[in-house]
Amino acid sequence: MTGTLVRLLRVLMTLLSHHRRHPLQTAFLLTGLVTGVALWSAVQVINAHARTSYAEADQVLGAQASHWVRSASGQGVSVEDYVQLRRLGWRSIYPILEQRLTTADRGVVNLIATDLLVLPGDDTAASSGLPEGGWMRLVTPPYEAWFPETLAQQLNLQNGDRLRLNSGTELPPARLFSREQQGLRAFMDIGAALTLLDRSRLSYLVVSELSGDAEDRLSADLASLNPQLRLVANQQRLDLTELTQSLHTQLAAMSLLSFAVGLFIVFNAVRFSLGARRHTLTTLRELGVSQRLLLAAITLETLVMSLIGTVGGLGLGYGLSQLLLPSVAATLQNLYGAVLDYRLLVQPTTVVQAWLLTSAGLVLALAWPLWRQAQRSIQDQRFEPAQWQQDAHARNRLLLGSLVLALLAAVLYFQLTSIAMGFTVLALILFAGAGVLPWVVALVLRGLQRALPESAWRLNWACGEGLAQLGTLRTALMALLLALTANFGVDSLVDSFRTSLSDWLEQRLAADLFVQSDTLDIDDLLANPGDWLIESHRRNGLTVRWQNRPTQIRGLNTQTSDTRALPLAAETDRASAWFEGDPGVIFANEQVRYLAGINLGDTVHLPVQAQTVAFEVVGFYHDYGNPTYQFYLPHERVAGLWPTAGEQGLGLWLSGGNDALAQAEAALLEAGARPGDWTRRDDILAISLRVFDRTFAMTAAINALTFTVAGIALLASLLAIHQQRLPSYAHWRSMGVSNPEWLLIAGLPLGIGLLLTWLLSIPLGTLLAGLLIYDLNVLSFGWTMPLIWRFEPAITLFWLTLVVAGVTFAISALQVRLRLPQALKHLGEDAA
Amino acid sequence: MRVYARIAALVILVISTSLAQAEIREPDPGAALDIMRASGEGYPITKPGQPIHFPEDHLAHPDYRIEWWYLTANLTDAKGQAFGVHWTLFRTALRPGSDAEGWTSHQMWMAHSAIHTPQGHQYEERFARGGIGQAGVELTDTGQFDAWLDDWRLLGTAESPVPGSLTTTVNDITLQLDWQADTPWVLHGDHGFSQKSGQGQGSYYYSQPRLQITGQVIVDGTSIPVSGEGWLDREWSSQPLAQDQQGWDWFSLQFDDGASLMAFHLRQENAEPYVRGTWIDADGQSRSLGEGDLLIEPLEWGEVDVDSGKDARKSLPLVWRIELPGQNARWTVWAREANSWLATLVPYWEGPVTAEGSSGGVGYLEMTGY
Amino acid sequence: MLRLNQVVKQFAQPDGDVTVLNGATFHLPAGRSAALLGESGSGKSTLLHLVAGLDSPDAGELTIDGRSSLTMTNNDWNRLRRDRLSLIFQQYHLVPTLTVLDNLQLQARLSQRLDAAFRDHLVDRLGLGGLTKRLPHQLSGGQQQRVAIARALLHRPALVLADEPTGNLDEDTSERVMNVLVDLVRETGSSLLMVTHSAHMAGFLDEQWRLQHGRLNQLEVPAL
Repeated sequence: MTGTLVRLLRVLMTLLSHHRRHPLQTAFLLTGLVTGVALWSAVQVINAHARTSYAEADQVLGAQASHWVRSASGQGVSVEDYVQLRRLGWRSIYPILEQRLTTADRGVVNLIATDLLVLPGDDTAASSGLPEGGWMRLVTPPYEAWFPETLAQQLNLQNGDRLRLNSGTELPPARLFSREQQGLRAFMDIGAALTLLDRSRLSYLVVSELSGDAEDRLSADLASLNPQLRLVANQQRLDLTELTQSLHTQLAAMSLLSFAVGLFIVFNAVRFSLGARRHTLTTLRELGVSQRLLLAAITLETLVMSLIGTVGGLGLGYGLSQLLLPSVAATLQNLYGAVLDYRLLVQPTTVVQAWLLTSAGLVLALAWPLWRQAQRSIQDQRFEPAQWQQDAHARNRLLLGSLVLALLAAVLYFQLTSIAMGFTVLALILFAGAGVLPWVVALVLRGLQRALPESAWRLNWACGEGLAQLGTLRTALMALLLALTANFGVDSLVDSFRTSLSDWLEQRLAADLFVQSDTLDIDDLLANPGDWLIESHRRNGLTVRWQNRPTQIRGLNTQTSDTRALPLAAETDRASAWFEGDPGVIFANEQVRYLAGINLGDTVHLPVQAQTVAFEVVGFYHDYGNPTYQFYLPHERVAGLWPTAGEQGLGLWLSGGNDALAQAEAALLEAGARPGDWTRRDDILAISLRVFDRTFAMTAAINALTFTVAGIALLASLLAIHQQRLPSYAHWRSMGVSNPEWLLIAGLPLGIGLLLTWLLSIPLGTLLAGLLIYDLNVLSFGWTMPLIWRFEPAITLFWLTLVVAGVTFAISALQVRLRLPQALKHLGEDAA
Repeated sequence: MRVYARIAALVILVISTSLAQAEIREPDPGAALDIMRASGEGYPITKPGQPIHFPEDHLAHPDYRIEWWYLTANLTDAKGQAFGVHWTLFRTALRPGSDAEGWTSHQMWMAHSAIHTPQGHQYEERFARGGIGQAGVELTDTGQFDAWLDDWRLLGTAESPVPGSLTTTVNDITLQLDWQADTPWVLHGDHGFSQKSGQGQGSYYYSQPRLQITGQVIVDGTSIPVSGEGWLDREWSSQPLAQDQQGWDWFSLQFDDGASLMAFHLRQENAEPYVRGTWIDADGQSRSLGEGDLLIEPLEWGEVDVDSGKDARKSLPLVWRIELPGQNARWTVWAREANSWLATLVPYWEGPVTAEGSSGGVGYLEMTGY
Repeated sequence: MLRLNQVVKQFAQPDGDVTVLNGATFHLPAGRSAALLGESGSGKSTLLHLVAGLDSPDAGELTIDGRSSLTMTNNDWNRLRRDRLSLIFQQYHLVPTLTVLDNLQLQARLSQRLDAAFRDHLVDRLGLGGLTKRLPHQLSGGQQQRVAIARALLHRPALVLADEPTGNLDEDTSERVMNVLVDLVRETGSSLLMVTHSAHMAGFLDEQWRLQHGRLNQLEVPAL
């Protein structure tokens, strides 16, 4: 037993000695591993963190939130009603004000405010979790607004700065501090916020807990207090988990792609080292080391590497996740209203998963090739064909594999039902494309060799050299292809989405002013409008639960110009009946079509009081950025069916007059609205697109990182190539090959390879974008849009690739320059 | 003055200078009382010669920094089992100046509700901000005195809190008490100005020492009728304590012969305790007890569960000697239940006591600054 | 053609410097061939590297084709190697992805001295006709070495440097390769300096020198 162990250790040390002799190869192996694991784990940490945050969605600012008390009118809850509830003994109720604020430079800041004195908690809420100066500064003029650090950075706020709002108001002096579940929001004392923003009503009340018959008693108290008040169970936890699933699947898929690219580097490094280690393995076998012992040693080496990779990757990944979190948090908050904390924790499951993933990757990329090498009979190794010939065989095998993958992708594609499956197809396509690449490059090089005239012998030589390098270069090219394809595909997706979104917004945001006010008397405003007003559109609505999800019902004026121009993604011939006010027909957003599986002409049953009312779906409209189901009905229909439906905003079309805006604002103030209650069309457009851009910042970040990893793979390959080819380069030198000639012969193949990689990434990226837009996006979010193909992203990627290639080639060429003299001295010696 | 402890709690909210201090289950008892010693600059000054007016002075004095309405009661049920109740409402002005209605109000409110039952001691603490109607002391539309925080409420039948009633809860226990009194309000000190140190700090302070109480304690849906005597305190000030005073021990005693005694023992740095009190005859006639009229000293110390912080127990004087040399009267006063600690924002001990000696009696003891 | 004057070359080793050439002096007239014999590690290959400018001497001077090592830059050496020298090694150093024809034309093309008629002649003389379209791995070792020889002679170098050119070949093949090499060198009028450890192979050449203790001594040419 001990003897075996000692022998095992000795074999292991012999195996590991390779890494001491070739630290660069080991460095690249670990770099690939660590960066791959880092990218994957960064996303994993964020996903796990987000899920934890959803689990905390039954809390608000650190206090339990089992129910909400909301006003059915959508106008919030009066302070009097709140105090009455407290005086009735409902001590588990606390008030919340949530307000979306527009900053002076058209940014958006969400504000949340409560009264810390009444916030339930284990500890006296007022005393725990307060910064220096505490509660006192929060409630006494000039008050304080607490900003989480990330938000403060985005807004460029320092301690003590005051954020200026679009309405001219200034928020209180900022303090960089964050409470539980504050998320990416500013926090203020509710009294200070109401005073400062000139509001009178609370957004809603939170009920921390209701035990036994308390729910019924509270409902009864609400009914007798104010019939508008509703007790709503907090289902956010479930809703968020469900709604955000698609997003997390997408992130996870992207991170796995990054991991795969990282694995390519590992694979690369291991393959280069195989040659050097072959001798060690052969010697060990010749010394009588059993296959079992060798396998155990290889397993141990893999284990050691996987541990280093996991620890390093998680460490780097944690740092990376800190960088990415603000972007993801912004996405989740903008899209789903999910609030993410800023205290990231690496969960034990993430660690275990990272290690398993790393180990699996290493078995594939390190242990398996090593083991195969070790298994080859000693005889075989003596008669090994030239490496470049092996490569030709490998290329053909890869091609064959790719075709199988492509076929599989095609078969799966036609049975696409889930996002996970969609990403599987996507991965299959990517890897099929990657597998074809070396074969294509070889084909082109050989074709060029054949086509080139006698006089172009240098180019011919370069092509030949390319074929010799290809075995080593191919993995890096494949990794680069993945990165380029992902970049081009996602760029196309984001471009298409952005174009569709802004077109759609342009169309939908037809009015000049949009008003959302809980104090405005709309009847009064519209009773005697001045000549500044051309047209108005008043919407009502409410949120119900349909198909066990929050579902918005909106009442539209069927006669206004914006409704008349409503672009429908699909419609039946009965669509016109909707505009004529037919009570039995309804429009639904595309989410209803693709996520709830409702088809044109289907009947939907919406909850009205305790019953349901049936409607025929006669049209679907685009509704980008909305994660929930939504239905459009005529305004009067909504008001008739749901008396509790509240105002959902007012659109105003202004006359072309010079002072129309000023008149409108004066009229709004006159009718009870407050500054900040209305937003100009251009501002909404700008804000929406800014939100969009922030939402996709994460995607861009992952892409950039994947590209970086591919760049590292390329550098590793080039260094390995030059190391392998150094004796040849020395011989060329001995024949008098000049520096420019060397550059041409050794560098041109890289150029051709990269060019082909880039070229191939365009159709592949287009395919990817198509899949994302036409299938995955629809499955994930229920949004459809056309793919808008542009060449510009490809051009940008071309230059980017050129720069990366230039830098990496320069580094590797420098290495050649440094090592060539030594190689020349050893020219002609037995190649060991 | 009892209530100073409560007010001290506000101190933490108001003056706390660091998070560490705000996380105060283990407070520096001295620091906790800072508000009591803080200069009253900007607020009205308490001084002798300001007559007390009823019923106006039952209501809040928002210009003054601190104020409280404070009820203690020794009650028994039909089986003769003893119950103790203490309920208090504190008001503090967060800054000087005239107050405003609504969210911009300067006032902050705090209330404690505690009960001793045969099963033990329970208490609850609540906070509310002023201006929005969640807490306050006002006359109702029907002209009744009304002091409340959430659903805790001390309601007079008319514009005075006596006769009146208390509706409150302590966790799952509900308390419903009604009272009236036959004796007049007692003004402490110099016509209601009660000096608290040799340097002139003091408060306006008056009491109703003989509330005749009936009511019920409702536990788990079972209503237990109780009756007994209570003591209602009213006090307000802007700076009641001097800088060098560390804490106090306060007694309200109701003797079997109908007489009552209010006495306090302010512990001072580098000086003898500042001891004052008021003697009240059975017919309600009162007499201030000045220096030398009243002797108070601890006799025995005992261990008390404080159920929070690092020290699970504290040592407190649980048996006291009180002597009135001029009347040749002396009593031994001991705590009936050692475990009467309130681990509230500012922690203190408050519980029922029994007196034996020149006459028998019951009462309440408050100890702060330990 | 080639002259060595008091050439010294040392190598740093962990256990002290080793002097492999210690005032080596040697002269090879144009058109003559010389074999360089010596024990393993005696510095034969080092000397060849110095002559090719692949390494530089610590002291002394080399004169090749009328040019002094004292005045030559790296570029000068490179040009000299390209136009006036050629190297033949034990490993043939053929570009595996180029055809035989492309391989054997490489250096002539580099030096822009490709003479199609001479090429055909060489292909013919070396018995490579019919193999020119093949790739190196499709040839035997002897054939590959003959390609390397053709490549080394096609640009008609002034001096051919060979390091154990037949080291990888069996005896028969070696002999045939040596014969054709010597013949062709004579035909092109080049000088030839060949490092070998085989006295038999050395016998094919005009002169034989032995490297011993860092110095060169000419051996008596046995009567033919």
